Amino acid sequence: MLLDIIILVLRETLEAGALLSVLLCVSNQSKHGLNWLWMGLTIGCIAAIFYAANFSAVGETFDYAGQEVLDASIQIIVCICLLVICCLLILQKQLCIVPVMTVVIALSITRELTEMIIFYTGFFQSQGDIGKALTSGFIGLMIGVSFGVLCYVAISSWRPATSKKLQIALLTLIAAGISAQAIQLLIQVDWISASKPVWDTGWILSESSILGQLTYAVLGYEATPTYPEVVLYSTVILIITSVSLVTFMQKSRTPEQA
Amino acid sequence: MKKITTYSLLVAILIFTQYVSAATPIIEIRIRDHLFYPAEVVIPANVKVKLLVINQDPTPEEFESYELNREKVIVGNGKAIIFVGPLDPGEYPFFGEFNMSTALGKIIAE
Repeated sequence: MLLDIIILVLRETLEAGALLSVLLCVSNQSKHGLNWLWMGLTIGCIAAIFYAANFSAVGETFDYAGQEVLDASIQIIVCICLLVICCLLILQKQLCIVPVMTVVIALSITRELTEMIIFYTGFFQSQGDIGKALTSGFIGLMIGVSFGVLCYVAISSWRPATSKKLQIALLTLIAAGISAQAIQLLIQVDWISASKPVWDTGWILSESSILGQLTYAVLGYEATPTYPEVVLYSTVILIITSVSLVTFMQKSRTPEQA
Repeated sequence: MKKITTYSLLVAILIFTQYVSAATPIIEIRIRDHLFYPAEVVIPANVKVKLLVINQDPTPEEFESYELNREKVIVGNGKAIIFVGPLDPGEYPFFGEFNMSTALGKIIAE
């Protein structure tokens, strides 16, 4: 049970840890302080408690598709927000980047923390060893936080220009992964028609392995994606690549015109 | 006018027949004492199936499968609907993430 809880908490923390580390790099480079982070965490915690308290009622809506519909909506909003942040970074604009980062953190925490609250509520109900459960959860959380810190150090150790490119690339990949997750949730409740997987790379890298979990958290890796997921994942990457290319071309043209 | 009504009726019957014949099979899985019943679920290959997961435990559970790409929290004494497939013939393990060591099962598509 001890190991189960560590893995459970770690899995929830990895994705949030990766996202948080990149956003912290963005904030640090632009000197935005940490108020947005505390605000996002606070809103996220309150929203998670509210969501967990009403989880049963939410789940029963839309003929038991409520959980997926709400989670997919959260994922889509987070994905759009990340795309906005990427575009603002590419265009070198600081306009509204802080509130958008706050929304991303608040929604991400809501989604990840809700599951933890439900798990621990159930654990307390079953009168298990609470001390052991909390310690295991703390270990899982700390491993996830360590992963986030490592990501932060790895990204910010580069020169500012390179670090910024890395931030944009990672945020794009995280956004693409999140969009694919949203599609998967809607396929799960048959709101989007299911199809057979486009490919199966499970024999190269299993999703259940440690590396599989890490690549899932950072790159949105999935061994057996379906067509709608591949299309949306590619579209997200294509959008950011196009914006980057157009901006680069405009910049390289400006000195000639001058 | 009569012809239009007849044709409309025929089209409606055709659509209804198609709908009934293509109805998604429903498979029931129960969670009791942190175990799945049945632990092995046989479903037809290449067909979409609706899983009705009923949690009879008072505590929540999360139905999860890497192979099926499915993840859903089911509250204590609650139920959930999860669509899977169409699947190629083969075995697709699933587990309860809140009780990984006991809640284990697999879907066999054949």
